Amino acid sequence: MPSESSRLFAFEPIRHLRHTISERNTVLKTTTQRIGGLVLAATLVGALAACSGDDTTDDTATDGTGDTQLSDIKVWDPYPQYDESSDWAKYVQSCAPEGTTITRTSAATSDLLNDLTSAVKEGNAPDVIMLDNPAVPDAASSGLLATADEVGIDTDGFDANLAGPGTVDGETYGVPIGANTLGLYYNEDVLTEAGVDPASITSWDTLNDALAKVTEAGFKGITFSGIAGEEGVFQFLPWFWGSGATLTDPSTPEAVEAGQLLSDWIGNGYAPKSALTDNQSASWDLFLGGDYAFAENGSWFAKAASELTDFSAVAMPLPGKDGGAAPAPTGGEFVLAPLQKDDAEAHYANASAVISCLVGDENQVKTADALGYFAANETLRAGQISADPIWEPWATSIESAQGRTTDLGPDYTATSAAISTALQAALNAAGDADQVQAAFDAIGG
Amino acid sequence: MTSVTIETPAPATRVAANPAQPPGRRRLRRLRPTTWAGLAFAAPLLVYLVIFYAYPLVENVSMSLHRFTRATFVTGEAPFVGLDIYREVIGSAQFWPIVRQTAIFVGASLFFQYVIGLALAVFFQRSFRLSSVLRALFLVPWLLPIIVSGTTWQWMMDADSGILNRFLAIFGVDPVWWLNAENSLMSVTIANIWLGVPFNLVILYSGLQNIPTQLYEAAALDGANRWRQFWSITFPLLKPVSAITLLLGFVYTLKVVDIIWIMTSGTGTSQTLATWAYSMAFGKGTAVIQYSQAAVVGTILLVVALVMGFVYLAVQRRQED
Repeated sequence: MPSESSRLFAFEPIRHLRHTISERNTVLKTTTQRIGGLVLAATLVGALAACSGDDTTDDTATDGTGDTQLSDIKVWDPYPQYDESSDWAKYVQSCAPEGTTITRTSAATSDLLNDLTSAVKEGNAPDVIMLDNPAVPDAASSGLLATADEVGIDTDGFDANLAGPGTVDGETYGVPIGANTLGLYYNEDVLTEAGVDPASITSWDTLNDALAKVTEAGFKGITFSGIAGEEGVFQFLPWFWGSGATLTDPSTPEAVEAGQLLSDWIGNGYAPKSALTDNQSASWDLFLGGDYAFAENGSWFAKAASELTDFSAVAMPLPGKDGGAAPAPTGGEFVLAPLQKDDAEAHYANASAVISCLVGDENQVKTADALGYFAANETLRAGQISADPIWEPWATSIESAQGRTTDLGPDYTATSAAISTALQAALNAAGDADQVQAAFDAIGG
Repeated sequence: MTSVTIETPAPATRVAANPAQPPGRRRLRRLRPTTWAGLAFAAPLLVYLVIFYAYPLVENVSMSLHRFTRATFVTGEAPFVGLDIYREVIGSAQFWPIVRQTAIFVGASLFFQYVIGLALAVFFQRSFRLSSVLRALFLVPWLLPIIVSGTTWQWMMDADSGILNRFLAIFGVDPVWWLNAENSLMSVTIANIWLGVPFNLVILYSGLQNIPTQLYEAAALDGANRWRQFWSITFPLLKPVSAITLLLGFVYTLKVVDIIWIMTSGTGTSQTLATWAYSMAFGKGTAVIQYSQAAVVGTILLVVALVMGFVYLAVQRRQED
């Protein structure tokens, strides 16, 4: 078809054209003819190929009973740091059921939900996706996900606080692949030199005293990430919740107090001004420089912290305002099956097989370890923590951690954006109480 | 997408049918083959324009007239709301400040890029030892990936330990918080000027090459100094090149997202219409995903660029007269 049509379309007009051109320019004749013909032919072949390109769908095989089986399983995750040759990639591929192969695709956390939206729209969603937990309610309420019941995902045995984001309007969609949370790392060498006892840091006041002491001793205070967007809000929530504020009203006096705390850190020079634009990796890098006494950062750095040679970094829970551990937000992804338009049953069968391989009782700790996460089941996690001493300081943090979307469901996204705006303004205020107040007033109501 | 590709071969089909036409309408028959051939030659371009320009533009405008959410984006069943979203966007508290910031960003970038680019072009017009090497070095900002130059600017402008503040400290200037809400517009504009100078340099330099040297020789004989030569020969003769440089610069600057996003994620005063559209289209930074609102801002940007295109055409026509 393409060759036939291109001959018809392309060379007939050239022949007529030649009559007019040849009289004027014989030299150009053959060149024009060839190029024109080639361009036309190429365009048409391309256009025709584009039309017929969609004919080949997934490899399907029909067994004796008439059920369709799909041999290709697409898995999306937000871990682009692990490439094709990584242990993680091989581990995921080893979860392919008999007779199937897994194709893994990675994208940045902040892009994955948008990618999924387009894929579901176009009807070529992956079989399994690992989606950041605060994005799950948004995805579910937008009709991107199949329910756990439909897919056949076993949702029993996960801690309620960690599994919370997977349930939207009473319907459960997926399960946590593991969990992480935030803690307060400190540079033991700096604290010793500045004469600060880490055990004394139990509240905001004692933390501020410690920050004053280390800066007087010539060190720097604390690094954190205040970058615009979800990442900065994630880091702000332990202070926000630690002051008694709730997400249902992000402009209460308690919320302002939390904003003031971080704003003062900038104003007093305890925290770097770059906190405004630092993401969590950048703020961790600042801490690794060795000058900073403290860093608010995630449990996913615990392994790296334990292997540091320049100084000794130790983790402790983030303090609440008046003492005790502040509730930190739960981090980590959920493993879910997106909604399928065609061959849904076959897709879901594959999805549930892969998901139960990843987070079933036998492999849950293995999966969590591969990602630097905690297992989301209390009993399994107890085993994981006792097996590796670096997890010990985190045991209480993970148990007291709160889901970000538990209170608000899909509305969390909008509240988070509002808090991000207020936080940015508060950090810019560099301690100015009126401006901090105004920043949170602006998002009220 | 598919429907577009099916439609496009249509003119070509008629081309194929043409030679089989019954004889009799002699005049038409003699005229047509060349017309069809012309159309056939234009077809690849037309196909390209329809697929890559017309279709996305129409989709964008259509999106700005329907109220899309993530859910309706998937189902495609967004309700038609006419110009409601335009009213909401233009009426929002953010709109006019962002327009003002965009105007400052574009205006300041264009002015300094052009002045510095022209000064350098004139400077390099006289060839001296290593002049071509130096000129090539000025292209570096253009050649570097923006992720690299953006991050480097961000580091240099770090308030606590950036090299710019260290440098200013030598002269006793207090450290500047370059990337905070107040100063971020100035900071991203500085970075963008640096980024745009090579483009201006290259185009203006090639424009200078086309000015006949006899004019300068004649002017020199008449006793015109270099300053006078510049204003009476170089600048007027460079006007057509300047016009295209400024127009292209305007369109490029209006749509800048990357350098701003890398440095500040569009926070504070550094938010422009382009970064605002980006943040709403993808739910990045402090924005929730708002497809339709982003499409509205995109359409506004497009209209502004289009108007500038017409201004350029008008200027060009006046110059030809």
